[in-house]
Amino acid sequence: MAELVREIMIDATPETIWPFLVDPEKHVEWLGTVADIDPRPGGVYRVLVQGRHQSAGEYVEVVPLEKVVFTFGWEEEGNPIRPGSSTIEISLHPEGDKTLVRLAHRGLPEDAVSDHTHGWDHYLGRLAVAGSGGDAGPDDVSPREAAGA
Amino acid sequence: MDAALKALAEPRRRAILRLVWSQELPATDIADTFADVSRPAISQHLAVLKDAKLVTERRDGTRRLYKANVDTMAQLRAFLDDYWTSGLERLRDVAEAAETRKRQTKGRK
Repeated sequence: MAELVREIMIDATPETIWPFLVDPEKHVEWLGTVADIDPRPGGVYRVLVQGRHQSAGEYVEVVPLEKVVFTFGWEEEGNPIRPGSSTIEISLHPEGDKTLVRLAHRGLPEDAVSDHTHGWDHYLGRLAVAGSGGDAGPDDVSPREAAGA
Repeated sequence: MDAALKALAEPRRRAILRLVWSQELPATDIADTFADVSRPAISQHLAVLKDAKLVTERRDGTRRLYKANVDTMAQLRAFLDDYWTSGLERLRDVAEAAETRKRQTKGRK
């Protein structure tokens, strides 16, 4: 299954960052307008983004100051990433006074719909470059070409 | 159970989707590719894929032409990219602001 990984270096300790991941009131300071989250295994994850994108899932693993793992998807009609169909892992890696935050989105529908050649591979490859701080350059491949046309 | 997930759970439908991923094909050509499957069964698979918005259908006279709905994937890619990139950048901003307040309280920095 395809995986999308993004990392960001934050000038703060895990102790400072952690509440933003597990406290509903702090969560909406960075993601979502409404966060109905119960961060413990089996607990609900529901974050409404931009007032219209309803993401939903369930917590799988919660290790204080280290990581949260939850299933993830969108309830919108026609969105191929359905609730429960993919998994997010957000992990904190302290480096001195700073913390590397890594977000891995697993279980994306690559092998279900591409031919193991283009399409998602192309885009996820670009995301990996951009996510590591590099510049993936202009995306000059049209969606149709990227899909193997 | 959701339509898209259900549609992709069937290996034959994934095979059909790959077939029309880069080319538009009439239903008859798709059916001919799968010699071991009846035409009504192929029609049923195509109907499920269409309902799940995984393929688009176009009529040309009496023929029905099918093609993978690549736009769905391109839109999803753009959405995901923005979703996590901007999300993590906002997390950095609010966490660093909180850290600054903490350090000032402690008299560090």
